Amino acid sequence: MLPQSISSRASKLSRRDPTAPLRHIDPVLIGCTVVLSILGVIAVYSATRGPGPDYSKSYLYKQIIFMVIGAGAMVFCSVVDYRKLHDWAWAFYGITTALLVLVVSPLGSEVNGAKSWFSLGPFQMQPAEFSKLSLIGVLAFLLSEFRGDIDIRRLVALLATAALPMALIMLQPDLGETLILLAIMMTIMLVGGLPTRYIAVLTIVGLVGVVGVLNSPLLADYQRNRLTAFVNPSGTSKAAVYNIEQSQQAIANGGITGQGLFDGPQTKLGFVPEQRTDFIFTAVAEQFGFIGASTMLFLYGLLCYRIWRIAQVAKDSFGTYLCAGVLAMFAFSAFENVGMAMGIMPVTGIPLLLISAGGSATITALAGLGLVLNVYMRRFQ
Amino acid sequence: MDSSSPRLRMSILGVVVLGCFLALFARLWYLQVMEAPALVVQATANRTRTVATEAPRGRIFDAKGRVIVDNRTSLIVSIDRNELKKVKNRDDLIARLADVLTANGAPIKISTIEKRLSEKKADQLQALPIASDVTDEVIHHLSEYAEDFPAVSYERKTVRVYPYGTVAANILGYTGHITAETLKILEPGTDPDGVEKSYQPDSIIGLTGVESTYEKELRGTPGIELVQVDSRNRPVGTESYQPPKSGNDIQLHIDIEVQIRAEQALVERLNVLRGTAQRDGTIRGAPAGSVVVLDPRDGGVVALATAPSYDPQELASGITQERYNQLQDINGASALIDRSISGQYAPGSTFKIVTAAAALSNGLIDGNSSIYDDGVYRVGNPVQEFINAGKEKYGNVNVVRALTVSSDVYFYWLGDRMDGTTLIQDAATAFGFDKRTGIDLPNESAGYVLTKAKKKALSKKYPDAYPNGDWYTGDNVQLAVGQNVIVVTPLQLARAYAAFANGGTVYQPHVVWKILRPNSSTTDPSDVLRVIEPVVTGTVTLPPDVRSPIASGLEGVTSGLGTGASAFVGFDQQAFPIVGKTGTAQVDGKADTSLFASYGPALSPKWVVAAVMEESGFGSEASGQVVRRVYEVIANHALTGAGTATNGSRD
Repeated sequence: MLPQSISSRASKLSRRDPTAPLRHIDPVLIGCTVVLSILGVIAVYSATRGPGPDYSKSYLYKQIIFMVIGAGAMVFCSVVDYRKLHDWAWAFYGITTALLVLVVSPLGSEVNGAKSWFSLGPFQMQPAEFSKLSLIGVLAFLLSEFRGDIDIRRLVALLATAALPMALIMLQPDLGETLILLAIMMTIMLVGGLPTRYIAVLTIVGLVGVVGVLNSPLLADYQRNRLTAFVNPSGTSKAAVYNIEQSQQAIANGGITGQGLFDGPQTKLGFVPEQRTDFIFTAVAEQFGFIGASTMLFLYGLLCYRIWRIAQVAKDSFGTYLCAGVLAMFAFSAFENVGMAMGIMPVTGIPLLLISAGGSATITALAGLGLVLNVYMRRFQ
Repeated sequence: MDSSSPRLRMSILGVVVLGCFLALFARLWYLQVMEAPALVVQATANRTRTVATEAPRGRIFDAKGRVIVDNRTSLIVSIDRNELKKVKNRDDLIARLADVLTANGAPIKISTIEKRLSEKKADQLQALPIASDVTDEVIHHLSEYAEDFPAVSYERKTVRVYPYGTVAANILGYTGHITAETLKILEPGTDPDGVEKSYQPDSIIGLTGVESTYEKELRGTPGIELVQVDSRNRPVGTESYQPPKSGNDIQLHIDIEVQIRAEQALVERLNVLRGTAQRDGTIRGAPAGSVVVLDPRDGGVVALATAPSYDPQELASGITQERYNQLQDINGASALIDRSISGQYAPGSTFKIVTAAAALSNGLIDGNSSIYDDGVYRVGNPVQEFINAGKEKYGNVNVVRALTVSSDVYFYWLGDRMDGTTLIQDAATAFGFDKRTGIDLPNESAGYVLTKAKKKALSKKYPDAYPNGDWYTGDNVQLAVGQNVIVVTPLQLARAYAAFANGGTVYQPHVVWKILRPNSSTTDPSDVLRVIEPVVTGTVTLPPDVRSPIASGLEGVTSGLGTGASAFVGFDQQAFPIVGKTGTAQVDGKADTSLFASYGPALSPKWVVAAVMEESGFGSEASGQVVRRVYEVIANHALTGAGTATNGSRD
């Protein structure tokens, strides 16, 4: 029950309805989101402005535009009652899956050997990013419908639903995004009441699968090298090791207090590849040091804690599963991206949500947080 | 426990996520705090390249403060190969550059430039020198039309100059590029500020002579620029810069005027003698010789001449095999050997002062002990005859007269009397023979003085070269007159006379006198970093009853009936009396080795001059003449004070 004093000062709306969504916005989640987004914009600018003195601002402006669009998406995803999304989940899933089919067709553009993008004038769209959200939606829907009563037939349905976009993304190929979808699927199924025996079987199949894939001709040599370089630096190709070494040296170069904004020699001089996306953490860590980088990780952790907490207090299981999916998306991206930059995870191209440059990823991340906020705001309704 | 409980499963998820974040924090801490120092070193090494600029080497002065090795600026045109890759009309650029160089007094072919460019060794970061010593006009043209010559740069580099040409080349030595093997083992010196004079793969080092032995002093402190490079190795800025500093100057004991005279006199005399017949009819080859001038008071080397000689610049700048072979056979002698320190000769009669000292100090004779010299000395059974040169008969001779007229018979007698002992060998060792003198120049020889034991050992070791390992009385008789079982270097001979002259102190000869500050003035005492103090390596006991008879004997050599008198006709010995000894060492089938060892002025010796000339005949007619001409310069200085113009007068 709310204290009297608040209701006396409160708006008309809340005086009429103490469970009104706008009364239950999570300031911590919004605060973390805003600070991380600003940090991301700065990091993207720092990583892309070039040696100067004519600093390039194109990535900076683009990232600001993405943040604004993303903020719109976040508001949209939080104001429409998430329970109505039940009905839209399959439609959204259908659209994103169709886009995934189209992107591997001649309509998609190829960058660095992967057909992952649509070119839209100055922008590129990466449908795989949106498919993360659509997969969260449909899996949450299905599991909330199953109410923990899952047999083989239903398990197969769940797996098939997840496998379709994963297979399409592997065709691009984009191993990183596929792994995120896998993490999302496993998390939602864990929280969504998949019987323990299935989890055990899936884990074993998964492990055998990973070992099998690594030793199969399915992966190109460079992919296998990138994936295993972090466990076996001497046995792999020079280029794969080089990136990890440079990245770790750049992070170490930040020390405790960092080299200062725009002042990271290792990142600035181009020793670390893909700084604005996959290796953006090195730019943050070199320029802001342990203090800055750990603060960023802490904010990320706090954000994840809020999502986890909201998953627990959600009014219904659909809300819980949605939050669990978004949590998996954030936590796994962060662990894989940052872990890769620090040499404890294999090298795969995964953006650090809210920090890395990129429209599709930023908008998807903010929309996902909008959904979580949505669940929190309506926990009393 | 109900594992399907939603709450438990959320907790599991939470723990997994928390674990992930803790792992990230731990790794971040490890990288940025614990491992940072080591990783930062790697990172810095990765993004910086050291570009070194060679500093000018120190200058070299003679004893009177005259500059004998200097530096000058050479204009060098270089091409940056990184930049050249970006040039569109590369071939055209090189053709135009060749034209500009050729038109302005520095002719070069396109193919020569291309050949230089294709060399792999040089650091890609440094511009590659294409032409050196180009004219100012070339530089004017290149700077005026700079935009037409991308990737082309020019710089001023210091190179060695020798105001006296090839004089003293054997002492000074020459410089050249360091080899990869030397780079690995050469320990760098430090400058007066304690900064290490590090070496780079293209560093210039002293290869021979003083340039080599005093490398640590002469080398300058290279300028070190720490260039920041990006991931493609392109320079983007400078992290730190330490400008180059000149090396320490050094001042030698060498008096360049005496050195010049010694070299000239030697070469001229060899040329005169070559092809003429000596007394017994043998034709003189007169291919080679050397002169050593020492200061008997401290072992300072005033001059070291060797002939034939060569221009070290020729070797330093690369030489054809044909020319190299030529240098190794000039009138039958190699020009590449400094005979003054590495030539080894039988000392002949010049060795008699040692024999005399051994006999006198061991009481075998005194100054008056005499024998009758009928020109022949007989030893052993079957009888072996040893004769005086020219079969001269000197009648009654004591040690004084024996030295003056060079009676071999008297010394054969001494050798015979000391057979079965090592008295002569011991005296020789005391005078500094049979071991290196330790002069501060490379490639010195040690000579040898055989004993019964050593001869046996030698025969055992090299049975082909020394088939007979037994020691005969004849060996000792020959040793007494400096033949057969003894060889010495001219420097050893001069040092022995220096020891005799100064009363018995054997010094380590030194070419270098003082180490001076970079860019020093030789007149300012505060510029002296260090004086190379005389080093005493031994002493010979020469009490008056030993020294006086020998000195008297030597004093007679250069006048009257003395064997060297002919060489000093007309020399003012009243003003500058010279004491010396001729030597004529027999060489099978060739003309004799002519030797002359001396000091002066007689009563307060300040100079020792020794000359050794191969296949040149009698002591006085070859070496004596050369020594006399050296004394002309010395006496002139000593008597008039000339040549002490700048400073550092040593007398």
